[in-house]
This record gives sequence, structure tokens and C-alpha cells, in this order.
Amino acid sequence: MECWDPNNVPETLPNGRIKLNVGGKLFETTASTVRSGGSESLLAALSNRSAGNSLSDSVFIDRDPEIFSVLLSLLRSNRLPTTARRFSKQELLDESLYYGIDSVFRTAISPPPLSGIDASLVSTIKPASDGVVSAFTAAADDGSILIAHAGQISNYDCSLVHSSSIRTHLDVISSIRRVWPDITAVGSEAAAGLHFYNSSSGRHLGSAHWTDPSDPRIYKSRAVAISDSPDSVFASFDCKHGENTILIIDKSTLKIVSELGRQSGNAAKSSVPGKLTWTPEMNILVGSAVTCGAFGYAGYIRLWDPRSGEVVWETSEPGSGRSSRFGDPFADVDVDSDESTLAKVCSKSGDLAVADMRKLGDDPWIYLEDPSTGMRRVGSSWEESVVHCYRKQLFVGRTKGLEVWSRTEEREFDGGEKECGFGEYRRNYVDKVEDAERGMIRRIEGGGNRLFVCRENVEGIEVWESSNFSGTVSVL
Amino acid sequence: MPPFAGSMNPSQDSHEPKLESNSIITINVGGQLFQTTKQTLALAGPKSFLSTISDDRSFSFSSSQPHVPFFDRDPELFSIFLSLLRTGNLPSTAKAFDLQDLIFEAHFYGIESVLLNSISNPSQFEPFTLEKSMLLPLNGRETPSSISTTPFGSVHVAHGSKITSFDWSLTRKWTVLTRFAAVDSLVALSPVLAAAGATDFSGLQIIDLQKGFVRKILNWDNSTKSGSTVQAIGNSNEFLFTSFESSRRNSNSVMVYDLLGDFRPVIEIAQNEIYGAEIDSAVPATKLNWVSSYNLLMTSGFHSGPSGVSGNIKLWDIKSGKVAWEVKENVDCFSDVTVSDNLSAMFKVGVNSGEVFFIDLRSLSSDKSWVCLGDDRKMMNVKKEGLGCKIENHGNQVFCSKGGDLELWSEVLVDASTKTQDWLGDRVFRRNLMGKSKDRGGSKITNLSFGGNKMFITRKDEQFVEVWQSSARGF
Repeated sequence: MECWDPNNVPETLPNGRIKLNVGGKLFETTASTVRSGGSESLLAALSNRSAGNSLSDSVFIDRDPEIFSVLLSLLRSNRLPTTARRFSKQELLDESLYYGIDSVFRTAISPPPLSGIDASLVSTIKPASDGVVSAFTAAADDGSILIAHAGQISNYDCSLVHSSSIRTHLDVISSIRRVWPDITAVGSEAAAGLHFYNSSSGRHLGSAHWTDPSDPRIYKSRAVAISDSPDSVFASFDCKHGENTILIIDKSTLKIVSELGRQSGNAAKSSVPGKLTWTPEMNILVGSAVTCGAFGYAGYIRLWDPRSGEVVWETSEPGSGRSSRFGDPFADVDVDSDESTLAKVCSKSGDLAVADMRKLGDDPWIYLEDPSTGMRRVGSSWEESVVHCYRKQLFVGRTKGLEVWSRTEEREFDGGEKECGFGEYRRNYVDKVEDAERGMIRRIEGGGNRLFVCRENVEGIEVWESSNFSGTVSVL
Repeated sequence: MPPFAGSMNPSQDSHEPKLESNSIITINVGGQLFQTTKQTLALAGPKSFLSTISDDRSFSFSSSQPHVPFFDRDPELFSIFLSLLRTGNLPSTAKAFDLQDLIFEAHFYGIESVLLNSISNPSQFEPFTLEKSMLLPLNGRETPSSISTTPFGSVHVAHGSKITSFDWSLTRKWTVLTRFAAVDSLVALSPVLAAAGATDFSGLQIIDLQKGFVRKILNWDNSTKSGSTVQAIGNSNEFLFTSFESSRRNSNSVMVYDLLGDFRPVIEIAQNEIYGAEIDSAVPATKLNWVSSYNLLMTSGFHSGPSGVSGNIKLWDIKSGKVAWEVKENVDCFSDVTVSDNLSAMFKVGVNSGEVFFIDLRSLSSDKSWVCLGDDRKMMNVKKEGLGCKIENHGNQVFCSKGGDLELWSEVLVDASTKTQDWLGDRVFRRNLMGKSKDRGGSKITNLSFGGNKMFITRKDEQFVEVWQSSARGF
């Protein structure tokens, strides 16, 4: 065939054209379009088969032509056409699985990078029964979420479609972590041990209990916080009398390997870590505990090297270090493992501070200031607040609402010089006033460019996303 | 569907349906065959590869072996574009699709401008049929502080420290974070570029709104060597005007920058230093309005003191940097003022009376005074009825907000004999209240802007932008 193709006409090579007959409707496309769904896909296989044949032969596929036209548009333009709205996500996912192009489909429906300054509530995931969520995790970072509610674990996939629910033997699940794609570790404040469940079949695969042959008081210890690295699971345990430790469990055998940071638990400085985070870049385990009593908040942050079990750095508030903020202990701490920073929110002033984990010293905190006066906190009573780091932004849940601290873009200087430190932060509300009225924010977690927000005694989990669609509302 | 494409183009001489066979082109789009003419495809414009098909001789039927060009795209969308090229209008079947899909596909064929012209053309602006049709929601809690539009209807909205931009179709948006606590003045330079400034932040920033970085910071070097805050921004096709005030608030000036020459300063006009006690020099310009037909820049500023509101309006010749005309306002000072090019008149809304006034610009002299278009007894009002009223012009109309309501002023063209007969004034302006009764009232209007065939309104304490357009033109 002679080449008629002028240089600026895209995708019109005459060779490699394919005719498809899907459910009686004829489609004509090119081999390159069909292969863009992945070389392993059914469509690519069909295109190879027909490559030698002449144009007049078409491949017959006995599927629905309407859905196919949506998926063909997706392959052609890498973008889901709005006609896809006629079908449910589940239908489209099933059909794309049939053609073997589900990875393209998943990419097309995944939300754009989360920008806290422009996020909106897209949906609220509500389990069918016992909707008050006791724990959740979005650690897979593909936008999927595992929700624990009244002893059940519900799995919602990356398109937030409910994929499975299992029932565990626990009545309340207070901590949850996905350790393998299909294995979930759960702990309960009401029952002993850390338990591993297969999240699709619902089988109990094993458990880990903290025991000490030399100390009979160590029994029926509860798993409080769970974290994991590629080869280990870290879980903090505490006993009835307060003594606590962190167990390191081998991920492949699910057996306890070692123990670290055992302490008596008779003071705020030695209570069980309520939050554990493992940072991949530095291979450091960060544990933190916060207790709230009549005299306000108290707590500590401790960093361990999990190989040696040594404490790398620690601070406790109120008390240690040369804190420039006396009498203003933190109410919550979070670790940004991508950027190796710690973030804390102060209980009294409500201020936010960050610390570089590579340069920790006596007082590593840099307090963030926001020049906009409209949002300054008034009053000085203790306030419960939570902080979460995600995509270089700090999300803070307070009684008054959900706010985000984001860095302003650096100006493009000629030499490319960059300001050292943490740059300039600006504070903005993510939510609206009516959102805050739904209840206190208990936990925030980001995953797959979604922000999951759980409120105290409110059913379900809110999902916040950024979008480039303006979402116009017609008022005619 | 017209039988032949020649009817689209008035310059085409051959209007007979008999066409040469080689002007017919067959295209295969996604398995469906389309036949059209070279002329129709040429309307896609030189940027589109559709027009190059018609130039290429190998596509035509004259060659012995016809090759049908094949595009691996959706045939249904292509049929819509073919109708668009044939008639210049979108067929009603396009309503089955989302505008978003059409834009994306038009981008592929390179005919976005044809689509834009059929949907959001400024010439389709019909002031008398505007109605409240859409809301553009804004995330977060801040209310819009200022908005700005491009001629084809892209709109930038500043709310808090953020600027959200909507594209001309109003289906896509981007939000960027600025260093301002709140953006007080904003001017769109293009769909992706805006000039922003604040009265409490030094420097005018030229911000790339798609990538979110500051492209340039423009400062005014004042004699006190303090920062320069931005009081107002205006623009023409060639220039960017900025009213600066020194941070110590003891001097102010209007800078003119070259828009086409990378924001090079051109001239500094209206420079004021406060040495004496003259109140007028301490008032920076808070509105800049370019009057292209006169080549003049209108600056206005006012000061509110215990003795009432006083202000000044000046028209500047930016070539010489001299004042061409000025008026001092002591009695019933303006709360907002606008100059209409098309009507050759200046309009204000009085702060005490809340009434609209005008001055004919066709014969400017120093003794010209305002003509009241309402009850002029209210000029001595002490109630300040016009406080916060906005007045803007677009096309041949003047729009004036009063609280939550919007008045539309238009000129009635009456010939001279009728005027004397009916005791009408020199120029006749009449008012209408805009919107259906359900859309009237509401919170106070804080910003008014026009772009494409639409009007954009923001209101106090409301976290969205109202879009008013003619329902016939809505997609």
C-alpha cells in the first residue's frame, strides 16, 4: 500500500487496521490503539490473530457493543468519555476485565493529584450495617480502603466499590493494617493478640501474642498500633497493668521475631505507643503516645532503629528538650515518610509544627505561621485535633473544621536556587461550615489521592478528592 | 443540511449544486464513512489537519485508486463536528454528549476555535435575555474577593489565598495557591495568566495559573523606599496599568507596563507625594478603566472622612502622562464609576443617592457636570444608599448593582425632533431590573464581570460564582 499520510495527520497509518464486530456492531480501529491496552489483553491477542488477514475480515466478539464503544473511546483518547456515566463502574470494570484492559480503566478513573486547597466531598462510604467505623486503613495507596466496623472488615476497591466483607472473631477492631494484598492484621482493645485474616475468604490465618516465660503478668496483652515494612510487621502491645512493648513479626511466616522498646507503662512517658509508622527511606520506626488527662495533654515521640532496637531520638512533652513552647504539648503527631518529616499539632495553641527527621536535636520544631488573620484561633482551652501528612500537605482536623496547610510554589528563579527549610505555608479550609457540623474528626488518612475522614460517632467514612471538573450547578 | 458547502462561504462564486467530482472527499472515521467537500473541511482552519486533507491531491477521487483517509476516532462525535463545519452551528444532537467530550475531541481535530466560536462568542452577548443559569462552586470557605474574565469567557476567581480558573466552557477548573492572604485586584491576561495584587502585600504578581508559579513580580520604586501595595489593576490590549501605594501610605502612583514587551515599564503617571495637607494627593486610584476610542486611562479614587466622601476622577493621556480631564467629587461622590467606549459616556453611582449619573464624553469641557438619571433630590441624602454599589459596562449597556439587585441601563435612540416634542433630554437612558423575580434580591453583589456571552456575579458570603447567560445560547 502506498503511503498517503501527510506528516501532521496522527494515527492514520493505513496498515494495521482492524475491524471488530462486537455484538453485531462494526467498529474499525488500528492495531496500535488496541495494543495500548497492554500486550497481554484479549484485544491485543485478537489483533495479532487478524494481522495477516485482509481488511474485510472482522473479528467477532459476543459482548455488548455499547460498553465496548466506551472502552474503545478510552483506548483511543486515554480518557473516559462522559457517555460512560450510563453504565455503573462495576459494569465497566467487569467489561474491561473481560477485554483485559482493566489497568487502563483503573488509571482513567483514578482521581487527579490531591490538592487540599481544592478538594470536595465526593462520597461517603457507608457499610450496610454497623456503620460507625472503628478503624480503617488506606495503606495500599491505590485509593482502596479497608474499613473495620463492629468486628467486620469491609474492603472497598480503588473505584470505591464494595468488594468484600468478612466477619472476624473480634467484637471491636481498634487497629487494622493490610500486610499483604489479601492478608489483614487486626487488633482489638477488648481482646488479646494481633490476628491475621485473609480478607477475601475470611479465614483466620494466625495470631501473635506477647508472652514472657519469665514474667507471668504478661498475658492477654492487646495489640494497640500496627505498622509494616516490606518484610516485617510492627505491633505495639500492652498488658492490663500497663507494661508494653513492640513486637516485630516476620511477614512471610507471621511469627514473632523480636521485641523492642519494652517499658513499664506507669507514666505518660512510658505508655504504649498509640501510633506506629515505619519510614522506608530511613528505616526508622516512629512511635508516639498521647494521653489526655485533667491537666491537659502529655505524650512522647520515639524513634527506633528496628535492626538494633536502639532509640535514635526521643522527646516527651511536657518536659524534655529545650522546647520553645512551654505548656503547649502536642495533641497529635504524624510522620510524613515521603519527606522524612514529623508534624505535630499543639493542644493549647492549636499551632502546627514540623521537624526534619534527618536533623533532629533538642528542639527541632519549626512552628508554621500563617499571615492570614481570618483563621487565627481564639481562646486557649485544650482542643482535640488530629494531623495527617499527605502529598506534601498537612491536613488538620479540629472542632471547627478540616484545614490544609500547603506550601506556596517557589518562584522560578534564574539560578534555580531554593529556599532552605520548609518554605511558606498557607492555611485554608478544606471543608465548609456545614461539613464541620457533622461531628468531630477522629482520624484522617490519605491514600491513592483520596483523603478519608472519619468522624466521631458518625456512620461511614467521607472521601475527599480534587477534581478538574468544575461541577457546575444549573439553576435555570 | 445544506446540499453543498459553498453556501457557507459568501466569497464563493459558484452557487450551483453541480460540483466538480474531485472536491468531494470521503473520510472513514472509526469504521463509518463520511462524505464532504474540500470547502467544508477548509473551514476547520489552517491549524487543523482536516484542512490539510483537502489540500492533498492524493485524497481526491481524481486519482485512479482512491484512498480513503482513516481516523481511529469516534464516528458519532465526528458527525457533530462535520455538521458544525457545514453550518457553523452545533446540531441539536450534540446535546446528547457532554461538552467536555466535544472539547476534547475538537482538540484532537484541531478545531477547538470553531467550537468556541459557536458556543462562547462575545458577539452572542444578549443583555436583555440574560438570566441566572449556572453556579460555579468553589471549594473551601472563602468567598470570592475578585474575579476577572477573558473576552471568550474564561474566568479567574480569587477566593482567600487561592485563585481558581475556569476554562471558556466552564467545565474544567484549576486552583493555585498564592502568597497573598486575599487577592484584592485581579486582571486576566489570558486563560492561563493573570495579574494579581493586594492592598496589604507588596508587589504586583504575574501568575501562571495552570502551573501555579509566579512568573514575574512588579514593584514600584517609591521615594520612601518602602513596599508598594497594589490598589487597582487595569489593562488594554497593549498595556497593563497598576495603581500602587507605598506601604507607608504617603505616596502613590500609576505604572504603565508593556504587555507585549515582557512587562517593561513604559511610563509612570499620576504620581503623588504627600507633603502638604492636601487630601486629594493621599488618595490612590482604586479603579483603572482604559477608554480605547479616546486613548485615555480613567483613574478614580475616593476618600471617606468625617466630612463625607470625596473623590476624584481623572482621564490621563498616557503618551504625555498629563491629565486630559478631571472632576472633583464633593457632593454625592461616586461609589463606583465606569467609562463606556461604545456609549462615549462616563457613568457613576452616587454614594449618597444611590442613583446613576452620566457625563457625555463626546464634548468634554471643564464645566461638564453629572446628569442624574434618577431622583436628583436624593443627592443630599445622608443615608449613603449607594454604598458598595458597583457599576460596569459591557457592549452598549451599563450594569449597576444595588445591594442584591442588578439594574441594566441602555440608551434609547430618539431623533432630535421627538426629543423636544416629548421633553426628553439630550440623551435618553432607561433602566430595567435584571432577572426573574425569583433571582432578584439575595446577598449583596461584590463583583461583576463579562466574558464570552456570559455575565459573572459574585455575592457577599457566597462560595460560588453566578453565571448569567441567554438560555437560547446555553449548551
